[in-house]
Amino acid sequence: MKKLSRRDVLKAGAGVAAASTVAGFPSILRAQSKEIVILGLWDQTGAFADVGPINDRGMKMALEERGMQVLGRPIKYITRDGATQAGTSTRRTEEAVDGDGAKFVIGPWSSGVALAVSEVAKRKKVLHLFSGGTEDISGARCHRYSFQWAASPYTAAKTVVDSFMKANPKAKRWHLLVADYAFGWSVEKYIKEVGKTHGIEFVGADRHPLGEREFSNYVQKAAANKPDAVAMVNFGGDAVAGAREIFNFGLTPKVPLIMSWSSGVEELVQLSPEIRQNIWVGSNFYYTADTPGAKEFVKNYSAKFGNPPGYAPSAAYSMTRLLLAGFDKAKSPEVQDVIKALEGIEVNDIVGRMKMDAATHQNIRPYFFMRCKQKAAMKHETDFADIIATGDAPLPKEYAACKDIGSF
Amino acid sequence: MLYALMGLGLSLVTGILNIPNFAHGALFAVGAYLLATVAVALGNFWLALLIAPLGVALLGLAIEYAGIRRLYAAGHDYQLLFTFGLALILSESIILIWGPIGSSYLPPEILRGGMDLGFTMYPKYRLFVMVAAGLLIFATWLFLEKTRYGAIMRAGIENKEMVSLLGIDIRMMFTVAFAMGAYLAGIAGALTAPIRGLNPGMGPDMLGIAFVVVALGGLGNLLGAIAAGLIIGVAQALVAAYWTEASTVVIYAVMAVILLVRPQGLFGIR
Repeated sequence: MKKLSRRDVLKAGAGVAAASTVAGFPSILRAQSKEIVILGLWDQTGAFADVGPINDRGMKMALEERGMQVLGRPIKYITRDGATQAGTSTRRTEEAVDGDGAKFVIGPWSSGVALAVSEVAKRKKVLHLFSGGTEDISGARCHRYSFQWAASPYTAAKTVVDSFMKANPKAKRWHLLVADYAFGWSVEKYIKEVGKTHGIEFVGADRHPLGEREFSNYVQKAAANKPDAVAMVNFGGDAVAGAREIFNFGLTPKVPLIMSWSSGVEELVQLSPEIRQNIWVGSNFYYTADTPGAKEFVKNYSAKFGNPPGYAPSAAYSMTRLLLAGFDKAKSPEVQDVIKALEGIEVNDIVGRMKMDAATHQNIRPYFFMRCKQKAAMKHETDFADIIATGDAPLPKEYAACKDIGSF
Repeated sequence: MLYALMGLGLSLVTGILNIPNFAHGALFAVGAYLLATVAVALGNFWLALLIAPLGVALLGLAIEYAGIRRLYAAGHDYQLLFTFGLALILSESIILIWGPIGSSYLPPEILRGGMDLGFTMYPKYRLFVMVAAGLLIFATWLFLEKTRYGAIMRAGIENKEMVSLLGIDIRMMFTVAFAMGAYLAGIAGALTAPIRGLNPGMGPDMLGIAFVVVALGGLGNLLGAIAAGLIIGVAQALVAAYWTEASTVVIYAVMAVILLVRPQGLFGIR
């Protein structure tokens, strides 16, 4: 038998390489040309570990509604754990873009982390949709590739302060508890701005780190200030822990508590009816929203998961639908075509009428304000609150920090 | 006081068994969940406060008997991996049994609301917890200092081989020590439930602080754990009064400063 020579090995190697080129590479090309890869960057670990799985639910529901297809092409949905950390989130986004061919990114949930992901989107030239409380994505750090689905912090603050003061005109002394990161700073700024127009005196404002669970020290200070109302600008576990501690100190229900940027259902379900007695809630979505889209979505979500959706799954659902509407309008799967289509797009969705501002990429849409129900008035276990107002006042031009969104 | 209670339990296990118990936080969480479950089932908070920590102690007994006992001869790597794995199993079990979403459990009616102390408002329930935790710490100290078995346990911390040579069943002592540690974690969790509510992540949150307390007090030093728990609590409250944002960081800052001056901890000798 003939021995293998060096030349034979090289020939075989070249043959395998050629075969791969003919058989393998085109198959990747074929997959790339057909599939539209969308990344859901949802936290499964870290401070928002409890939110990621329900974000994922909402996004999947929106994709499944369309049969996992758009423009006649299959959608490949991939999801990665951002770990609620900027480093992990940016690395996994880059891996998904470079390794999996993702050109459309939705998420993550934390504003601070999303700002870092937004920079990746700009550098990698992929479309990025986000929902959160920072104003920077559609403000000082705006660019063509990122879009903000949530209401502007100004819209939220205006809705919350105006509506609360209408119901409680004498509550002029406010104490603020603010999450110490991008989202908290933005909403706090506008609560103070809008507060001026009502003559509100801010008797105290304490900032706490993300993931704070020991609120006794903060609440002790708040109680010492003898406020007419306490307003929290925090989210998720922080908001739940804060509301519980405020009740334990005996501040609520005597003093009203405002959760100005709440997830709604996901936070309220963790508080017992006694704690919720005098809580007023601002949110980007509440499941009793009187829109055809919300009714359909809430019905389907509740049937599937046994409870109504809060802000987190609803935002993921609506962002995904918005992206798909962008594809439809663009009639193209190319990133820049979809971006152009999304700029100025107007849709009726679960929150009502939405318009994506072309100049800032800020979604102009309603924000909801609710008052929690007394235990005796609840018709069922998740009948937490009534929507008492909605507001969609856009950010006034003098506050707009996005002067030029730039080019591609 | 709760920090001292947690630190005391962990110090007992670390001192006697010489095992870094990463499941201590998970036992704390189990205590909280058991309290709420039993209290709702029986409609009585006080009975639940008696039963829930005993349940955690029984769980601790089973863990020591079925698992940790087999690892005394193994290195710290194995013990560390075992307790770390156990913590994950317990945390996931909490999610499987009680669900991933947190909930609130209110203090009994008589302890709800705040009390005006003249210089500040303070929740009645927190005042109760201070007294209860203080009494528990005192009772533990009495047991360890004034009873024969307590003396044996303290001797075991100093020199296990000698205690064994004196004909004392050291294995039984290990089991009792682990169950006691679990009981202290369980009752700390049960007392905490009305303050911090229930969520599957509550164990890891507390575990970090418990390890700070143990390191600060001196590994395995029970008096040190009590003192360190109080120092951490007081430092946190004082800093929070003037610089609220630093109230969490101060825990680790105090530890770093004290360990720089006394690497063996406040009362430690190793």
